[in-house]
Amino acid sequence: MDSRESFESQTMTEPNPEPQARAQRQGPAISVSGATPSPPAKKSRDVGNVQLKDLNAYYGKTHAVRGVSLDFDADRVTAIIGPSGCGKSTMVRCINRMHEEISGASASGEVTLDGLDLYDNAIDVVAVRRAVGMVFQKPNPFPTMSVIDNVTAGLRLTGASRGELEDRGREALVGAGLWDEVKDRLKGPGAGLSGGQQQRLCIARALAVEPEVLLMDEPCSALDPVATLKIEELIGELKQRVTIVIVTHNMQQAARVADTTVFMLNGDLVEIGATDKIFTNPNDERTEQYVTGKFG
Amino acid sequence: MSSGDPGHALLLDRGNLKRRNRVNRLVEVSSTIATLLAVAVLLIVVGSVISKGIGALSIHFLTTPMGLFGDTSGGISNAIVGTGIIVGIAALMAIPVGLLVAIFTTEFASPRIGHPIRFVLDLLNGVPTIITGIFVYGLMVAGNKQSGIAGSVALAIIMLPIVARTAQEVLTLVPGTLKEAAYALGVARWRTLLRVTLPTAAGGLLTGALLAVARVAGETAPLILVCSIFGQGVLTEPNEALASIPVFIFQSSESPSPEAHTQAWAAALILIAFVLVLNVVARAFYARSRKRMGA
Amino acid sequence: MSPGETRTQYQEELDRLEASALEGLDMVSTALGRTLEAIEHQDVELAQLVVADDDRIDGRYLEVHQSLITLLATQSPVATDLRLISALLHVLKCIERMGDQCVNICKMIPLTGNEPPADQEMVKLILSMGAQTKTLISQAKRAFAERDVELAQDLVRQDDVVDNLNRECFRLALEIGDDADRREWAMTMLLAARAIERTADNAVDIGEQVAFVVTGLFREFEDASRPSA
Repeated sequence: MDSRESFESQTMTEPNPEPQARAQRQGPAISVSGATPSPPAKKSRDVGNVQLKDLNAYYGKTHAVRGVSLDFDADRVTAIIGPSGCGKSTMVRCINRMHEEISGASASGEVTLDGLDLYDNAIDVVAVRRAVGMVFQKPNPFPTMSVIDNVTAGLRLTGASRGELEDRGREALVGAGLWDEVKDRLKGPGAGLSGGQQQRLCIARALAVEPEVLLMDEPCSALDPVATLKIEELIGELKQRVTIVIVTHNMQQAARVADTTVFMLNGDLVEIGATDKIFTNPNDERTEQYVTGKFG
Repeated sequence: MSSGDPGHALLLDRGNLKRRNRVNRLVEVSSTIATLLAVAVLLIVVGSVISKGIGALSIHFLTTPMGLFGDTSGGISNAIVGTGIIVGIAALMAIPVGLLVAIFTTEFASPRIGHPIRFVLDLLNGVPTIITGIFVYGLMVAGNKQSGIAGSVALAIIMLPIVARTAQEVLTLVPGTLKEAAYALGVARWRTLLRVTLPTAAGGLLTGALLAVARVAGETAPLILVCSIFGQGVLTEPNEALASIPVFIFQSSESPSPEAHTQAWAAALILIAFVLVLNVVARAFYARSRKRMGA
Repeated sequence: MSPGETRTQYQEELDRLEASALEGLDMVSTALGRTLEAIEHQDVELAQLVVADDDRIDGRYLEVHQSLITLLATQSPVATDLRLISALLHVLKCIERMGDQCVNICKMIPLTGNEPPADQEMVKLILSMGAQTKTLISQAKRAFAERDVELAQDLVRQDDVVDNLNRECFRLALEIGDDADRREWAMTMLLAARAIERTADNAVDIGEQVAFVVTGLFREFEDASRPSA
């Protein structure tokens, strides 16, 4: 059975020309009581499909990503693995257009979200980043803000109304599995939490703006094993709500957490397939060598 | 001890251990003495100022304006007010501009432009204050009259590079990851600057401002040129020449009367106390700001 | 998410696979029961049903085996989890073999023709062996599910009974062997007895795996062929 069967192009829903409108979609309402709110009900997802078509990325003259084409399916976790410098972080940063923030960096090709080309001239970069969120390697809560202000930072700094802030902040904290641990110190400093809690805070912050896709760039590499496992558990729960793309240099993590695994080498896409296939019987010799640890 | 053992030969003392120890000791002792010397100088200066000036220090001294020329029965209230106004206006001019320059070089300029600007600021910092004084004299006083504003302009020119350079250092220290986090949330550039970068750097920015104020509070040369002939009583109109503490110290020390000298010492005490306090507070803010960003 | 709740999906999958593997023992028990009935009543159709149904046992083996391999590849299990997966792979093999033994017996039944059994005592012995083996299988299943090493060791004693009955069959077959009419039937029955005895041995193997999961040590249980010193 060819694992690539599952990666035929999804039938595109009609391209939505208003990314801003989508980003301001209301989340499900929850009651505001003192008890711990339950996580929001699963909504069926026909959004959040990302496609890369012949993506090339450069740092000045260095060709970091070479003509990569692949699909990220909604409701799935896709892991990108590969040795250092293979272009995985670069490729992922092209999806939310953070790559171009680096001076001298450029990209070409097509990156579409539900059929809409994110690199089109008419598209607002800032709106792209609200639809495609990101969590970084080292937890980076804003040091001058409290826990609750951190979570709602994305909403506050993009003009959401004050009334919604508390509700959506709470919802995000529940979704990130952090509510119970911080509900008594919402006003405390964001940087006063442990490493694992800070990273979950950053995840909550990213979730609060209700993105369709969540990019995670080695989110656990700065954390201890227990914190790592908690976040992996969280990723399993989150994939119902957001398409998740996780870059990791830890193969065991990719094996545990991802439905689909992508192997990159020197800027090229070498193989993409169901995770269990990649780790039991990969097609490409180079993939076999990498996952068995013969190089990398 | 098996001195014939080849394995341990490398570890044996070849006879220069004692010499190295002596050299170490020498360097340690001399650097300790030098440090003590430096600290001693500060203590001597502050000590002399206190001991020589404490005699003239009193509530009357602080609350009465200066007497007529030669009359030492007055105090320095007008000088204190004058210094406050001149330095205050200078701060209002220099701090916003310095901050904006720092923001420009760290956020918006490419490194090609940033480096020359930093160089220019360092040069400006090194310009002797008397020259700044002459410049402002020629610009605002010659053919016109002395004024507090002219003094403020001169002090602002001196303050600008200090504020700008400190602000620059602090803004560069704000971790790039914070800005990244804000951009990734879909926050626009200017908003990130205003609500994330500046608040994070706030402590350090305040430090820069306070240090600049502490530095110019005692600048004498420019004020002598542009704001030294003033009227009686406590004046507050910046368009006129105002009294100031450094000028008072200068003029009193030129006077033949010993009471005037004591008054000069007392004024110096006030000034040094003000500068020391500002420095300590500024450092404290800086330390707090670094701790926040280093987390 | 409460503290301590990590890798729940992995744990649930492992539990599911264990349950699935142990269900295979139920399937074998059913097959054995039907086989014994087919022997008792010379029911050729029932025997054919058992042979056809073995596909299900083989299917279960393949499916759980593949899932266990995937779990090994993707979850990097260690310690007890690793021993459990290794034991389950072994148990699956035993189950598949036990199913095959039943098939072997059932394939022989049509060969003995549609006449009533030639010797009632022999048939009684075999049915007795079969019943005892069924008890062994369910005890092995319980020992594994409950990780009960003592219960697993007791399987040896139960197996001795089956072994003794097998020797009885052999002796009886030798006696019947003088009778030319019944000799062929007796040989066939002896082969059936041997198949049942092998099935019982497989159940004991499962018991050995229980000890491995619990203690991390692998040793053969003492049985009649290896008396304790």
